[in-house]
Amino acid sequence: MADMTSGERDLSPATGAIHRHYRQLLATRRLYSLIAVAGVAIVLVLALLFANEASSGKFIDRLPYLFDFIKNFVPDDPFEIVRAMFDLPSPYADGSFKYDYEVGRHYLFGTGFYIPEYFFEMLVTLNIAFASTLIGGLFAFFFCFLAASNLGVAGPLRWIVRRLFELMRAFPEIVLAGMMAAVLSLGPIAAIFAVSVHTVGALGKMFFEVVENADMKPDDGLRAVGANWFERVRFAIVPQVMPNFVSYFLLRTEINVRASTIIGAVGGGGIGEVFRQAIGRDHAAKTYAIVILLFLTIVAIDQLSGWLRRRLVGNAAFQFGA
Amino acid sequence: MLKISNVTRRFGDKIAVDSVTLDIPQGQMVGIIGRSGAGKSTLLRMINRLADVSSGVIEYDGVQTSTLRGQALRNWQRDCAMIFQQFNLVPRLDVITNVMLGRLNGRNPLLNLLQLFTADEQLAALKALERLDIAQTATQWAQTLSGGQQQRVAIARALMQGPKLILADEPIASLDPRNAQIVMDSLRDINAEGITVITNLHTLDTARAYCERIVGMSAGKVVFDGTPDQLTTDVARTIYGADGLKEAFSEAMTSTAIAPLVAPTVRSMDATSTS
Repeated sequence: MADMTSGERDLSPATGAIHRHYRQLLATRRLYSLIAVAGVAIVLVLALLFANEASSGKFIDRLPYLFDFIKNFVPDDPFEIVRAMFDLPSPYADGSFKYDYEVGRHYLFGTGFYIPEYFFEMLVTLNIAFASTLIGGLFAFFFCFLAASNLGVAGPLRWIVRRLFELMRAFPEIVLAGMMAAVLSLGPIAAIFAVSVHTVGALGKMFFEVVENADMKPDDGLRAVGANWFERVRFAIVPQVMPNFVSYFLLRTEINVRASTIIGAVGGGGIGEVFRQAIGRDHAAKTYAIVILLFLTIVAIDQLSGWLRRRLVGNAAFQFGA
Repeated sequence: MLKISNVTRRFGDKIAVDSVTLDIPQGQMVGIIGRSGAGKSTLLRMINRLADVSSGVIEYDGVQTSTLRGQALRNWQRDCAMIFQQFNLVPRLDVITNVMLGRLNGRNPLLNLLQLFTADEQLAALKALERLDIAQTATQWAQTLSGGQQQRVAIARALMQGPKLILADEPIASLDPRNAQIVMDSLRDINAEGITVITNLHTLDTARAYCERIVGMSAGKVVFDGTPDQLTTDVARTIYGADGLKEAFSEAMTSTAIAPLVAPTVRSMDATSTS
């Protein structure tokens, strides 16, 4: 095949023309790529400059002080973190709230057994996350089929459902929680409401996109059998999309654990709220205890849901038709 | 010279290829026939090293290719091009780039990732496409082409590699008879230039028409190795099994039987087998 690297004179006139045409296409494509890359680079630089102007401290100037906070914010000794985490009495106790870890204990069955404060608050947060993912997931599941364009749903209805999904995910959970706190007062119920609403919007969109990618041949088959719309959705679509639904649902669970934590900080209760109090009052040991607990919990939840996803879905996730 | 010695491949406790030994001289056109699941594909994939051998040795010109690693392995893979039943092109990439991808090995990796090919390479790709009579499709996405055209693009990509041998895994099983004939004719032309061609075929008549040597496989073992003339109905029965014989002659699926040169032999064999 050594002769294949010779010049254009070896080609027929028609192929020569194709080659020139290809070179033209290539030149245009490269020009557009270059413009796009340059454009992105310029926008990125401008955005960072603007952010730097808008900040009170300048990023580069403040860089040397990056670790100052960690240096100054240290507990009296490392075991203070353990004591704060498990609500054990502190040797530094001076009657102030800073060292009074025992006050947060949640006693069960009389006085013998207690749940440490931060574990209890973590449970409150996880409860918010799981309850709202379930509620949101259920609504998303039942409405996503009305939003999909391939199931013959009437245009106006589809439009309304889609806009509803958009509206529900347009507001971040934290904004919804703030609004709900004004109505339902502070606490986990407002948080559950907020996270649920956002979950319906976010999962609903992912679900209906999965439905739109489904193979329609089984649907034709059941239509030919004389099945109605609900039966066709139930038997032609649901079995196909279930693995991806489960996958997205578990992913949302992970996201919602984080969202519920943040919501605590604006009055949603749970670990986020005690974290805000601890760091605001300069209680170093408590803050570290919460951060460690939070980190371990989130890692555990991510691992667990990843494991569950593989067990339930296997390789079927994000694959169609096979 | 390709030497396959006692090559075995296991998947779990299943044996896909069972101590196969074959010597294939440079420039031969070999057809491997057998039922689905006979181990034909696995054998080809082990030659190209898409699959590894469980035991045994594959050698080419004294180099043990079954144990190569890294760059040496990739160089060997460039030297033995592979053609697939489902073409395995990049669907959302234009045809000429698909063909130029055959040159990936041996070029600057950075230029490769930026998709920068020289004018020489573009011309070489066009020449390969022209040779297969599909140069006019060069700027289209590969997925817009028909099956026969896509398989010819795949052959052009294989030629671009400058291979010493071409392995074709059921190259015509997804094609209609007319396109199947074009593809097989192209492989024969390439073989005439001294490139070894080893092709898995589902049907007997195609193998008899195009290959100077036929290897029959059954349940992972080589059960026949000889010229088309030696391949009698009795031998075909051992390869395909009594009830598989009809399938082997089925022209509807994968045959190139519109080629006039094979018609007489096939018809006589077909008659004996169905009587």
